[in-house]
Amino acid sequence: MIDQNELKAIIEQVLGEMNVNASAAQTSAPASVQSVSAAQTTVDPGMIPDVTQIDLHTQYLVKNPVDKVGYQELKNHSPARLGIGKAGPRYLTLPMLEFRAAHSAAQDAVFSPVDHDFINQMNLFSVQTKCADKDTYLTRPDLGRQLSDEGVAAVREKCKKNPTVQLYVSDGLSSAAVKANVADVMPAIIQGLQSFGIEVGTPFFVEYGRVGVMDQITELTGATVTCVLIGERPGLITANSMSAYITYKGTVGMPESRRTVVSNIHDAGTPPVEAGAHIAEIIKKMLDAKASGTDLKL
Amino acid sequence: MKLKTQLFGHNYEFKNICEVMAKANEEKSGDKLAGIAAASAEERVAAKVVLSNITMNEIRNTPAVPYEEDSVTRIIQDDINETIFSEFKNMTVAEFREWLLDEHTTGDMIKRASKGLTSECVAAVCKLMSNLDLVYGASKIRVTAHCNTTIGLPGTFSSRLQPNHTTDDPKGIMASLMEGFSLGCGDAVLGLNPVDDTVESVARLLKMFDEFVNKWEIPTQYSVLAHVTTQTEAVARFNAPMSLMFQSIAGSQKGNEAFGLTPEMLTEGEDMLLHRGTGTGPNVMYFETGQGSELSSEAHNGWDQVTMEARCYGFGRHYHPFIVNTVVGFIGPEYLYDSKQVTRAGLEDHFMGKLSGIPMGCDACYTNHMKADQNDIENLATLLVAAGCNYVMGVPQGDDCMLMYQCTGYHEAQSLRETFGLRPTAEFDAWMEKMGFSENGHLTDLAGDASVFLKK
Amino acid sequence: MKEIITSVGIDIGTSTTQLIFSKLTIENQSSEYVLPRIEIVDTEIIYRSKIYFTPLRSLTEIDAEAVKKIVRDEYAAARMQPDMVTSGAVIITGETARKANANEVLNALSEMAGDFVVATAGPDLESVLSARGAGIDVMSKDDRTVYANADIGGGTTNCAIYDFGQLKGVNCLDVGGRLIKIENGRISYIYTKIKKLAEDNGIHINVGDTADVISLRKVCTLMANLIAEGLGLGETPAPQWIYTNDGKGFPASVPPIKCLTFSGGVAEAYYSRDSIGNDVFKFGDIGVLLADAIKECPYFKKVRIVKPLETIRATVVGAGVHTTSISGSTISYADGQLPIKNIPVLKIAEQDEESFEKITESIRSQIALFKPDGNLEQIAVSFGGWKFRKFAELQNLAEAVTKGAEEVISSPYPLILVVENDIGKALGHALNVLLNHSKAVICIDGIRTRSGDYIDIGEPVFGGHVLPIVIKTLVFNS
Repeated sequence: MIDQNELKAIIEQVLGEMNVNASAAQTSAPASVQSVSAAQTTVDPGMIPDVTQIDLHTQYLVKNPVDKVGYQELKNHSPARLGIGKAGPRYLTLPMLEFRAAHSAAQDAVFSPVDHDFINQMNLFSVQTKCADKDTYLTRPDLGRQLSDEGVAAVREKCKKNPTVQLYVSDGLSSAAVKANVADVMPAIIQGLQSFGIEVGTPFFVEYGRVGVMDQITELTGATVTCVLIGERPGLITANSMSAYITYKGTVGMPESRRTVVSNIHDAGTPPVEAGAHIAEIIKKMLDAKASGTDLKL
Repeated sequence: MKLKTQLFGHNYEFKNICEVMAKANEEKSGDKLAGIAAASAEERVAAKVVLSNITMNEIRNTPAVPYEEDSVTRIIQDDINETIFSEFKNMTVAEFREWLLDEHTTGDMIKRASKGLTSECVAAVCKLMSNLDLVYGASKIRVTAHCNTTIGLPGTFSSRLQPNHTTDDPKGIMASLMEGFSLGCGDAVLGLNPVDDTVESVARLLKMFDEFVNKWEIPTQYSVLAHVTTQTEAVARFNAPMSLMFQSIAGSQKGNEAFGLTPEMLTEGEDMLLHRGTGTGPNVMYFETGQGSELSSEAHNGWDQVTMEARCYGFGRHYHPFIVNTVVGFIGPEYLYDSKQVTRAGLEDHFMGKLSGIPMGCDACYTNHMKADQNDIENLATLLVAAGCNYVMGVPQGDDCMLMYQCTGYHEAQSLRETFGLRPTAEFDAWMEKMGFSENGHLTDLAGDASVFLKK
Repeated sequence: MKEIITSVGIDIGTSTTQLIFSKLTIENQSSEYVLPRIEIVDTEIIYRSKIYFTPLRSLTEIDAEAVKKIVRDEYAAARMQPDMVTSGAVIITGETARKANANEVLNALSEMAGDFVVATAGPDLESVLSARGAGIDVMSKDDRTVYANADIGGGTTNCAIYDFGQLKGVNCLDVGGRLIKIENGRISYIYTKIKKLAEDNGIHINVGDTADVISLRKVCTLMANLIAEGLGLGETPAPQWIYTNDGKGFPASVPPIKCLTFSGGVAEAYYSRDSIGNDVFKFGDIGVLLADAIKECPYFKKVRIVKPLETIRATVVGAGVHTTSISGSTISYADGQLPIKNIPVLKIAEQDEESFEKITESIRSQIALFKPDGNLEQIAVSFGGWKFRKFAELQNLAEAVTKGAEEVISSPYPLILVVENDIGKALGHALNVLLNHSKAVICIDGIRTRSGDYIDIGEPVFGGHVLPIVIKTLVFNS
């Protein structure tokens, strides 16, 4: 029978390979030894480490590699899931679980709604497109480009008319992106515009929104520049990525090339606050140049 | 030609073949988005009944886009062997289906028939096939092609190594391709979707691939998936080494125009590679397709996405491709809603490709806004191997960090080989053994250790 | 989109004076849909001057006029005008830096050699520049091992260690090929420390003596041993007195050296000894004998000797090519304030970033150090800023900085912030709003500094997105 210290050392080593702090395992080690010797199932109060917190850049699971340091350095240059070893021709269990966890976050980001408490907290009122639910949203892009009749009425009633800049937020394909970034991006844009002395209209939230609905919003509010912060289709690296689409005097049916895009806004990509400051400057340049999209040289 | 039938006593009448073809399709969100799908399950079956009674000749005479208006239609129609066509022209679609499935009909007989079939004929029979019909029918047909190695031979199953990177970082790409090769991926092609698709960048990446493949004496092909004109220019201006010329293609002239593509560009590209490429040939082209792309560029002319997809194969075969794959779940839920639709589309595309005489592979994939997950894509890949598919994709653990979608991983090709008793292409199999990555068709402990390639 | 800027490097060393021009290619590395990430993607040396003996007016004075003429002639030969040069460095290195009029020479050249060319010196910096010019930063990374470079010049030997691309330590020894000079077969100069070294070991040499190869070889053997000891390859550590300016050896933490390169004038003799022949005093000094002694020294046989990318030009290449960096691509700066040169850095220690109060206090307490004559000089406040990512945190940070830097804000100088984390533009906006645009603010990110550094900020390049930066770190081992 394996002794306590040996078992503890093995657990620490395994956790170390999982990039988890070994000290977290110390309290649970003796307990699991007991459970082995007691030969019965007991519930350990300890916590299994969060597999989504493992840094995939440093995780390296290949057994006895020829040149570990060399490959680790090379792998550092890629965000891909590399150095993951194998079980026969299949995946090891840990990377399989990491992958499933990432996909679960991506699916939840797409299919769950933005929490309305959060919208209220951000002082936004909420309107909807002609999509009644997520399924319609996903399969009918045309309906996601039009506000519902109630939405049109609410924007008419509540929004400041003819603002220089109309800013609004939309769920798009990631509610998680809205939750993760809006509290930083939105005030940073507003402060940046304030710093340039540019007036901002009444911000709000659009549920089930496609990018194109911004042109209808431009026409409704009479804004010169319209900027939407919208959740991007999640990848497995992050489900929190957000984009800003910005137009100068947009109109319904205008070419897509007239939109200026800033994408990849999330904590591990373009930091939200700095992205907001950058977007404010783009808007300033847009107003100066009276153009957006490919017509605007940044 | 009859366009009317009854089902449970209800009358069903269709205006024309276009409507029958669309409504006979299995359910697809893309056909609904186009407003051409059957309104009910019953109407779908009624359309299948009507379609089953239409002759191949009637189908051929109703191309999705008129001959005079469309270069794709012209290429498809002009490439037909009229002698062979005349042998099949009087068969109904139902009869043709049964001929295909008949135990006396061999793969070689079907490949001969391919020469006489327009893409609409291919699509029509597909609509009457169940999923297992599609698997069984396709499994009879082996289409091989040769560039540096031979793909599609019985007993083999190959993969494309796709080492995509968010910024084309050469070291990051290297890290990825080393791991892929160490797991037995890449015998179909080493192919990268570049972020920077300028001529200079494409030439640089091709040189990098050429050096690696030569240094380690890997018997395969490589390609950088930029526009055909960019690749042609990379060869012409920078002497970029290239074994396969890539292009995305569509099933109509308008669809190709959305890709900035004309048939002449493909002719020029093929010609360039036959004269200045690094591959032996005669097959030097690589095409990608996918249901829904014509609708997304409003180039479907009111036709359904299965028929438009079949036309890609009829167009593509004109250029003698080494590999063609459908990127089946990339386009999103507005075209293929969930895993059921993706699975169906994957089997349809693979079958139609082979029935068109094309060496067919499949990028079995999904995006995160579809109701599908990795299990679904593993299922599809398994079905495709059963159907005799030439190759699938390989990306690190199925997660493409640059295209932001998931497909089959580096580990999948070899898992499927071992499950079905298959091998990579013979040359690549020998190379894997030489490198110590496999033994008798099974991976060794060394497989998956990319750092083997760091030895000087 | 690409932009090419020109950088100059001028090295006035103990024995030689050299100049190079290089092209730095700046490119946006990110796609058009995300924030710009502008970086130096390529460097290329486009002109190398002849190698001149450094003109001296006397043993203690550099001939400033003659140096100026060299530089002026080389500019003309390279078809360069001062206003074509965006960045770079003039450095007076080795023993020359100790000459009485070194500063005067630097100032004279700095004015002439372009708007943004900076004057700097210091043995630690020279060690880093020569190592990078020799290429060991890249070699150590590519080979994934520990490299050292010893740049053996006329007056000093500058050593640096890189492990896997990271600088691990520097030092500088008063050992060089021109510390004993020979004229007409007689010794014409002996540097005091070398005289002491000889005497301590029972070798008697004096100015005016006939140059005796045998005894000079003995002295060179001792000097070679000292270099080995300085690199940690000898039997004992190098004696304290041999370090330049009472400097120190490598920090205790440096890893053992695996590969070694030599650069500098003596290295030229070391790697191409055959071309020199038997006239060991050909250059009027003991450089060739020192090269021979190094070749025979058993201590260096412990490591692999590798040829560097540059030998005699290592330092000037380091100065011309490797001093300039580029700020982060989203930054904030007031118009009309740039360029600014030689700004001392007030660094907020990492532990003081724990709270906003500590940040305020750290700036306030350190400002006193920047009042040489009672008046505040122009300073740059610098910190990591890694903790601050949220909008609300940046507002508090802006407030903490303005409180701490009240004296800067009431001074005529702009408020300059140099931050590592990518928050420059947002922080700049927060400061502008907080200060009601009443103060010129320059807030750059992507730049790491150390306490005691000096910074130069150049005029905007690449459509105004980025600023060229030169950080002059004078003390590395700390």
